[in-house]
Amino acid sequence: MNRRNFLSLTGTFTGGLLVLPEFLHAFGSQQNLIIGEQCVVFIQLNGGNDGLNTFIPYENPLYYDLRPKIALRKETVISASNGMAFHPALKSFATMQQNGDLSVVQNVGYPEPVRSHFRSQEIWQTASDSSQYINEGWLGRYLDLQCKDHQPTAGINIDAIDNLALKGNEPNFITVKDPNRFKVRTENEENIQLSTNPQLDFVRKIANSVTEGSDEIQKALAKSKATISYPKSGLSKNLEWISRLIKGNLNSKVYYTSLGGFDTHDNQLAIHNNKLTELNDAVFSFYQDLKQAQQLQNVTLVVFSEFGRRVKDNGNGTDHGTAAPMFIIGGNNKGKIIGNNPNLSNLDNGDLKHEIDFRSVYASLLQNKLNFDYRKIGLNNTILEGLF
Amino acid sequence: MNKNNLWSLRLGYTSKQASVIAKIGIEKFLQLSFTSKFDSPLPSFLNDDPKTIAELREYRQTFKNANTDEQKKFLKLQIKKGVELKSWWIDKIKNEEFPLREKMVCFWHNHFVSTIQKVKSNYWIYQHNQLLRENAFGNFKELTKKIVKTNAMVRYLDNVDNKKGKINENLSRELLELFTIGIGNYTEDDIKNGAKALAGLGLGENQAQYRPFFEDNDEITYLGKTGNFKVDDLIDIIFDQPEIPFLITKKILKWFIYDTPSQELVTYYGNYFKKQNFEIQPLMMKIFMEEFPKNNAGSKIKDPLVYILQLSIELQIPSISNTMIGFFTKQQGMDLLNQPNVKGWDGGNSWLSSQIYLQRNNVSDLLCSGRNINRKAFNQIPDEEEDQPKISLEKINVTIDFDSNGTNKKIISELCERLVFNVDELMQKDMETILKYDFDPKSENANQAVLRLFNFITKTPEYQLI
Repeated sequence: MNRRNFLSLTGTFTGGLLVLPEFLHAFGSQQNLIIGEQCVVFIQLNGGNDGLNTFIPYENPLYYDLRPKIALRKETVISASNGMAFHPALKSFATMQQNGDLSVVQNVGYPEPVRSHFRSQEIWQTASDSSQYINEGWLGRYLDLQCKDHQPTAGINIDAIDNLALKGNEPNFITVKDPNRFKVRTENEENIQLSTNPQLDFVRKIANSVTEGSDEIQKALAKSKATISYPKSGLSKNLEWISRLIKGNLNSKVYYTSLGGFDTHDNQLAIHNNKLTELNDAVFSFYQDLKQAQQLQNVTLVVFSEFGRRVKDNGNGTDHGTAAPMFIIGGNNKGKIIGNNPNLSNLDNGDLKHEIDFRSVYASLLQNKLNFDYRKIGLNNTILEGLF
Repeated sequence: MNKNNLWSLRLGYTSKQASVIAKIGIEKFLQLSFTSKFDSPLPSFLNDDPKTIAELREYRQTFKNANTDEQKKFLKLQIKKGVELKSWWIDKIKNEEFPLREKMVCFWHNHFVSTIQKVKSNYWIYQHNQLLRENAFGNFKELTKKIVKTNAMVRYLDNVDNKKGKINENLSRELLELFTIGIGNYTEDDIKNGAKALAGLGLGENQAQYRPFFEDNDEITYLGKTGNFKVDDLIDIIFDQPEIPFLITKKILKWFIYDTPSQELVTYYGNYFKKQNFEIQPLMMKIFMEEFPKNNAGSKIKDPLVYILQLSIELQIPSISNTMIGFFTKQQGMDLLNQPNVKGWDGGNSWLSSQIYLQRNNVSDLLCSGRNINRKAFNQIPDEEEDQPKISLEKINVTIDFDSNGTNKKIISELCERLVFNVDELMQKDMETILKYDFDPKSENANQAVLRLFNFITKTPEYQLI
């Protein structure tokens, strides 16, 4: 395995000239052609985050009519402007927005929305149409084209289980529960023999990533230090590790982690407040950490969920819905609010109609941040303008 | 791999039944498994748990009136009993003479998911688990009816909040999406209308019951039929749908044999299942009898429970506590009685990530070197301190069965027959490096050398598959 910084490369081209992955090999031998490689960090909010109670149309009387029990009062929402405001737990999101580092993309979704968690997550992770089934994740397909051979640390998933979004034909990512405990402990299995048994091949590849990736991670961790103190929560811990890996020049292109608990069918006000607080505090520490390390311009944080929730409440909670806002933080984004405010009077079966396809956000991330022609992984949507 | 060992692992958790299968044959083994007895006295640690609605109310009141310290104690006790419940089940799994019933309980447990964490009543979870045991080989349609009416399920899928004029779709959705016909075979309107029919089905004394005040008696249209329907009617209608046999048939094939069963097999066995009126026992009999002679070893990644139980049986360690086994499987992403979500564990490739693999290897290293696994071994900061087993650093005796008259090659092949479905040249070479040609099986530390070989085998990719 020839380890190279394929990542230092993408930043050197303007306009997606990296047509063939073979080129990477030749250029990859020159390390760090430019300073400041870009990477994208994803936080997936599992369970379907209620967009309307996250970024709130607090001036819309319909919002209060449809949500008698769970609407947030005008006096409590924060950072109001142009009819929209943040949930009171998101005070640091408001700060980041005021600093010009946070963009909100409104009404993000896809045609013919599916209200099943599993299927909708699959759609987000594979960037497929609602009726199309793809076995490889969108980031996995991107990494397949970007990496010659395979690069076990091109993508890092910090979670208990593997993530479909990163799954490609080659294992170009590794899943880590806690990078610090990731110790090298195996004999060197240099060559993977391919057999006729796909299950066996799968296990063999995993067995190999254990060896290869752990080395790189250990090196990156050794190079970086924890500089600010993060709150005590699962997400904070994960983001703290990601920050250390970035600061330690691991040079991964994509980091992925998740936060569960957003499936608020009941007792929404309390649960949602807790979850958003956890999100807010973790993200803000990460943001400050990167800012202090002067890395924020190179790191784009993307916060999303598989769907939003029904406009009308079901009492103390909400059922599965459709479109919702996405948040983009850092990476030199323009700090704008993109898209119209949610239209609560023109609903589809009680749910918001989406106005911006999530794949056009993906397209923008690939094109503008990773310098990659998004059409190569089968994205046909037009790029979302105004983000970067 | 010897077929009897393979099927002992598939129909149970270890190689313990291999000799029985060899002796009486697979058909007789299955018949005895289907008629195996199970006992059902209430486990004593649940004696004092609230059971009736009145007792539950009283418990809640006491809890509410207690001060913070006392409340903490209450919660600790609840968690402790949850761990005991898990251990009680693991004990059955480990010790059944015919473990197929418990394997099936675990299957249903992962199909009709209902977790301690959400339900917050160990007694209801116990009831739910016991119902699966009684109906393990019963009728799928009847079991679905019974399960949907458990207190555990109406609580788990929020039907307790599903009331006329304040509809909650959760149970209605999963009844179609995950429990029966699967996504793509119903509309959003079916979900909404089903939820109406389920409105008011809330907690009851021994099982869920309708509360007239919250029922919605509107006429609805459900999967094309119109009328006044209640929960059993919904399930009757669902079981008239043409897609009904396939989702569960596929899951059974995945649970026992193939991570990715072919569509042909699913259709073939599914059609038979329908002809048998959704009786599970004849379906299983047919699947196992027809799959047994096939050459299909190595098509499924071991789940964590099989991994750890097989290891402890092979190494002849009686002393790994049930709590520790439960803790290990939790670390490996298979927390019994607490799946991460209603879909249950995905199984297949998702059983293994790089770190889970590494952890399996660590545990094998520890056990093979005669150290019992403990909390420290997992290198895990406790997330809920209450459910952590005690740290134990005891030294244990491990030993492995092998023919003490054999040569190195004979012992290698003996172990491989029992443990791995496939051995290639490279692996054979490695094993002969560990157990060399001049190996003396009668020497004092022969057991240690064979243990090293065993340890090596358990860390191969081949060993992860059955």
